[in-house]
Amino acid sequence: MSYETHDDLYYTEDHEWARPEDGTATIGLADYAQDELGDLVFFELPAVGDELTQGDAFAVVESIKAVSDVYAPVSGEVIEVNEALHDNPELTNEDPYGDGWLVKVEMADPDELDNLYDIDAYEAELLE
Amino acid sequence: MSQHHTAHGTPYAPHDPEATAEMLDAIGVDDVEELFAFPEELTYDGSFDIDAHTERETKADVGDMLAQNDDLVEFLGRGHYDHYVPSLVDHLSGRSEFLTSYTQYQAEASQGFLQVLFEYQSILSELTGLEIVNCSIYDAATALGEAATLSSRVRSVSGDRILIPELTDDRHRSVLENYADGADLTIEEFAYEDGNADLDALAAAAGEDVSMIYATSPTIRGTLEENLSDIGDIADDHDALFCLGTDPIALSVIEEPASVGADIVVGDASVLGMPASYGLGLGLFSTREDFLRQIPGRLSGITEDADGNRAYAMVLQTREQHIRRERATSNICTNAAWVALRTAMHASMLGPSGLMELAKTCIDEPAELAAELDAIPGIDAPAHDRHHFREFVLETERDAQAVADGLQDRGFAVHVLDDHELQVCVTDTNAEHTDDLVTAFEDVAALEEVAQ
Amino acid sequence: MKFQQATYEDDANDRYEPHLAEKDQTTVETDTSLPDELTRDEIELPELSEPELARHFTRLSQMNWGVENGPYPLGSCTMKYNPKFTEEIAADPAGAIHPQRPDETVQGTLAIMHTLQDYLARIGGMDAVTLQPPSGAAGEFTGISIAKAYHRANDDPRSEVIVPDTAHGTNPATATMAGYDVVEIESNDKGQMDLDAVRAACSEETAALMLTNPNTVGVFEENITELAEAVHDVGGLMYYDGANLNALMGRVRPGDIGYDIMHYNVHKTFATPHGGGGPGAGPVGVKEELREFLPNPHVRETEEGDYEFYEPAQTIGKVHGHHGNWPVLLKSFAYIYRLGDEGLLDMGEKAILNANYLASQIDFEIPYEPFFHEFVASAGEHHATDVAKMMLDNGVHAPTTAWPEIVPQALMTEPTEIESKDSLDTLAAGFNAAAHASDEELHEAPTSTSARRVDQTDADRNPQLTWDAIDQSAGEPADD
Repeated sequence: MSYETHDDLYYTEDHEWARPEDGTATIGLADYAQDELGDLVFFELPAVGDELTQGDAFAVVESIKAVSDVYAPVSGEVIEVNEALHDNPELTNEDPYGDGWLVKVEMADPDELDNLYDIDAYEAELLE
Repeated sequence: MSQHHTAHGTPYAPHDPEATAEMLDAIGVDDVEELFAFPEELTYDGSFDIDAHTERETKADVGDMLAQNDDLVEFLGRGHYDHYVPSLVDHLSGRSEFLTSYTQYQAEASQGFLQVLFEYQSILSELTGLEIVNCSIYDAATALGEAATLSSRVRSVSGDRILIPELTDDRHRSVLENYADGADLTIEEFAYEDGNADLDALAAAAGEDVSMIYATSPTIRGTLEENLSDIGDIADDHDALFCLGTDPIALSVIEEPASVGADIVVGDASVLGMPASYGLGLGLFSTREDFLRQIPGRLSGITEDADGNRAYAMVLQTREQHIRRERATSNICTNAAWVALRTAMHASMLGPSGLMELAKTCIDEPAELAAELDAIPGIDAPAHDRHHFREFVLETERDAQAVADGLQDRGFAVHVLDDHELQVCVTDTNAEHTDDLVTAFEDVAALEEVAQ
Repeated sequence: MKFQQATYEDDANDRYEPHLAEKDQTTVETDTSLPDELTRDEIELPELSEPELARHFTRLSQMNWGVENGPYPLGSCTMKYNPKFTEEIAADPAGAIHPQRPDETVQGTLAIMHTLQDYLARIGGMDAVTLQPPSGAAGEFTGISIAKAYHRANDDPRSEVIVPDTAHGTNPATATMAGYDVVEIESNDKGQMDLDAVRAACSEETAALMLTNPNTVGVFEENITELAEAVHDVGGLMYYDGANLNALMGRVRPGDIGYDIMHYNVHKTFATPHGGGGPGAGPVGVKEELREFLPNPHVRETEEGDYEFYEPAQTIGKVHGHHGNWPVLLKSFAYIYRLGDEGLLDMGEKAILNANYLASQIDFEIPYEPFFHEFVASAGEHHATDVAKMMLDNGVHAPTTAWPEIVPQALMTEPTEIESKDSLDTLAAGFNAAAHASDEELHEAPTSTSARRVDQTDADRNPQLTWDAIDQSAGEPADD
């Protein structure tokens, strides 16, 4: 089975992704994650202003058969939350790297990206 | 002799020696003992010293044991009530497709029970005015416990106090304490005045750290609460949840909980569906839709199947223990679904007119009985100057226990609350005995000395 | 075997039995002697005749699956036959009494309760038993609350409960409800608790370790003695989840192998009906040192030989508003009385025989063995859900799916002792039809149940839980 990946993203071992852009990072679930979870029905997301710490759980995602923590790829303050997921959680299934994004943060330390997988490492290590 | 006699072990297993031999062969062992690979030092010899009996013997012997219970006319209530349940309810609920099934994990093969639970949810939702009703908690006391932990989960402000009426029965308080202890909640009582909430005391006790205010109507002493919306306002003022304790028959006439600001409704719904059953109940649990993801217990929802036809399924199972595990809202798994099935059947047999009639019985009969008892010198009934539902407290000049003992000698059971307080409950099932009860009270409780 | 469940179709070929509000909605205005300000204005509910209701609920029963429809091999649930004579006993009016009668007037009920307490103590190897918890999960909460009270009484409050990753969800959920942190131990490659990991996890914070045995993959925890030692060495208590008692019945007693507290699921082991979800009952047994912590009240025999309720000296209080689910307890008592030692021993034996035979006939892999009364197969390349739906078409109910998670696409199967070789062959055929079905066939299933594959996603994304909530735009047939 082949999963969608993008080369401008950084990935975690739990299959989250981060897209850095001018000191901010958009965060979401990788294609593999949404596929494993199945049809998503609900997100418990942080609020604007909340602080995320790399590696710590910051959100909870529910499908019809599972509940899963979502771990922060990078540390930072939440500056935007994808409110559309409230009524349309299926966006993350359908477009996990686009409309299905979860939150956007102001990165506390862009060097933290070095701790993550780039697309090649991600595909090699985790998508075997 | 049939191989299904206990001389051959369990009568409920169909194995004959030939089939067993074929099975052992297929498994690849010579003797069934080889399958019991328990470490020898841990084994037991199977002797419990319990004799086997035939079905006939069992029915007779257990019947004889039960017959040792005294046959009394019960005028008892205080959280467990006897109402007449029509025979059709026994008959329908006893159908094995309902009775022997389990939780509807395979929705496609369980549409029948799922629909009845949906109908139960709908009927109770009409009565509470709140959008959500779950498929049951065990009983009123455990439903209250779940309400308390729910309230601490859903409030955006943290709080750890639960306010409950000072007249709350010890049994309910004890159950609530076990739930509260695990959730670091403390329980505080607020004062009551003549069988109703003392609003000033409640307002003084309320604060930002109160998660939930619990009040009941009817109360455990049978009084109807006249200040429900005031209680709702006080809860609202402090962003506390207002949890109302009541039951479906009372709900058909009292103010609709949603309209007085209730966020949660709990109680024993088995007043419809179950006659007196030594305490088996059905925990009613109903909330506003805002709390949908936080509530415990099963939910039956309506959706479609692959052909586009209407179908039912359990909904949002991710709240429950089998998926969320240590993060579940509650550990509840097996519930009281079969009782909910009976409640739905009974409620639908009554319909709104039947419910209204039954509620009127619960209002009129105790009022009449109280008036008759009040006419007896040495009795003051009802003790509270309030409207009552099913039951009331009365005061006796003579020692209450002595009066109760005298009544028991004459074949009646009532509650003893205190040295001079009794409580009496009248419903459709014992109303025909009220005249005899009054006579018995006249004999026993009158101020004049009576020959022993 | 081919199977067809009832369906009812209207002229437009909409296939469903209307719900009650579609048959009637009647409004009745409140008319009582109460003042207006204390009452609601009206209620609106269906008002239907008895014959209409008899037909409605009978049709619904035909669209439901019970133990008497065919094999119902839900793992962990022990869906065995519910003897009908117990229903008659439960209906005896002499038992239909109020729970707050004075003790001396309920000697029959108390005698039965006391005897049942005693029977269960003997069966479990425990010293004292309470009948109050109204379910297995409630029993777990009771047992862990007893452990909590015990540690507090020793001025030694602890903070952790250890469970295996294969534990039934109620175990960690119970620990959380009681205020404990959950320490989850990964199973080893035999599907058992890793002894070294447990030893490492045991500390002065360990209040209890919760473990059923045989465990949820059906295998016996062979290190149970060492596990109990590890927990006892740090002052913790061992808790037995009674779900799998059917396997041990008579041959091993939890109290003899290191457990201090246990619950019994009478709706599993002792054949009381599951009722579509409940009510069950979860009595709890404890060793002597924990007797005084039992819930209040407990039944004991007096010097005069009758029975009374009393309050245990250090009781945890109540776990149910009254005395537990009495009619359920009564049925389990009658069952034990009927079966006796021979029957109880035999039922476990036949349950183990049946599970082993069934396993030998199915074409799915079973990673963990030797198992006893239940096994967990893997659906392998297929999804467990699809296998379940295909089995329904073959006249058998599906096993428990997707748990325990250590088996991918788990099919947790417990046939119980009530199945004959022939019905086990039918059950195996149901498994194997799914094992060898094409993806297309699996996705089409089920075709012969009252509903086709239900849209669980829509149900969860758009919950509609009452007839008032039904969304007209979701394509529901309009009311006439």
